[in-house]
Amino acid sequence: MKLQELVKALALTELTPVAAGEGEADVTQGYASDLLSDVLAHAPSGGVLVTLQVHLNVIAVASHAGLRAVIFSSSRTPEDDVISKAVDEGLSLYVSPADTFDIVGRLYQLGVRGRTA
Amino acid sequence: MADRLRYATADLHVHTALSPCASAEMTPPAIVRAALARGLDMIAICDHNSARNVAAVQEAAARGAQEGHEGRLTVLAGMEISSAEEVHVLGLFPDATAAEAAGVEIRRTLPEAGDGYGAFFGEQPLMSADGRVLGAETAALALATSLELDAVVDLIKRHGGLAVAAHIDRKAFSVFSQLGFFPAEAGFDAIEVTRFTGDDSPRMAGFRALGLPITSSSDSHYLEDIGSAATGLTVAVPSFAEVALALAGLDGRAVCRA
Repeated sequence: MKLQELVKALALTELTPVAAGEGEADVTQGYASDLLSDVLAHAPSGGVLVTLQVHLNVIAVASHAGLRAVIFSSSRTPEDDVISKAVDEGLSLYVSPADTFDIVGRLYQLGVRGRTA
Repeated sequence: MADRLRYATADLHVHTALSPCASAEMTPPAIVRAALARGLDMIAICDHNSARNVAAVQEAAARGAQEGHEGRLTVLAGMEISSAEEVHVLGLFPDATAAEAAGVEIRRTLPEAGDGYGAFFGEQPLMSADGRVLGAETAALALATSLELDAVVDLIKRHGGLAVAAHIDRKAFSVFSQLGFFPAEAGFDAIEVTRFTGDDSPRMAGFRALGLPITSSSDSHYLEDIGSAATGLTVAVPSFAEVALALAGLDGRAVCRA
């Protein structure tokens, strides 16, 4: 499914302007974890990350792992410096009032899968 | 005239029975006896999210010295704070008053221990210098505060303290496990590496590359662990002010992982 469509389907709030072409990108894989060492090691490149971790390091880790987008769960909203770093890195950030479990469930319904599915 | 410097051995991460995961045998007098028996010059009491047993251990050390026990032990006031990201940060403070003031702020950010907490996480006894139980802490010390890492480091600094990234080689509750990368801008004064990572291991080279002084501490939860790791310090006297100089590498003071 296209990133733009996922954003609409989950009614996500956009924290960053969608980078050129990113909205049209197909997102087929996802990962959910709050341990950034684990994200670094296991998140699928090109995928979406669901986390409640809002530390600045999320951006560095997500970039390094080649992730396309990060969804912050439970209304956890990062500071402005985190958002501007994401803009620099071309990473799309979203926030949702839903918790991680429900966000992942919705993504799964829409066809997004983890690495082990 | 330059101060006369000497070598001192410090174990800067020791829990008391107040930490729910620590043994009940970790009473103030027992900790002081064990530290002296291991030949330590200095320890820091760093309970989880509380400094309420620090003064009792300091008093136990002072009494021991008066009673003519062999050696003299300096007890620094510390606290092991869990950030919202569940990163453990050691705060070392100028004195027990500063540590307790920081502890009051920390306590407000913790949930209360509910029914069954003690049975699952362990008891949290507040103790006197002679090891009597005076009461119990009712905040859930085993859980994380609601303060993000930057706020934890800031709180420590506001109370005149030094911030040490705890056991950064551990797979849980460390900067690396929780945050993936070491945030250079976080303002740490030092990093702590456990005895399980050897001086010549490849990981140690990575830790050295962070450019911060490295301490080695036992993270003792049991008496037998006290002094199982230690930091060597070149200082004039074992004191907070001298540790601060040693971590900053000033006036000939220095720190080396012992």
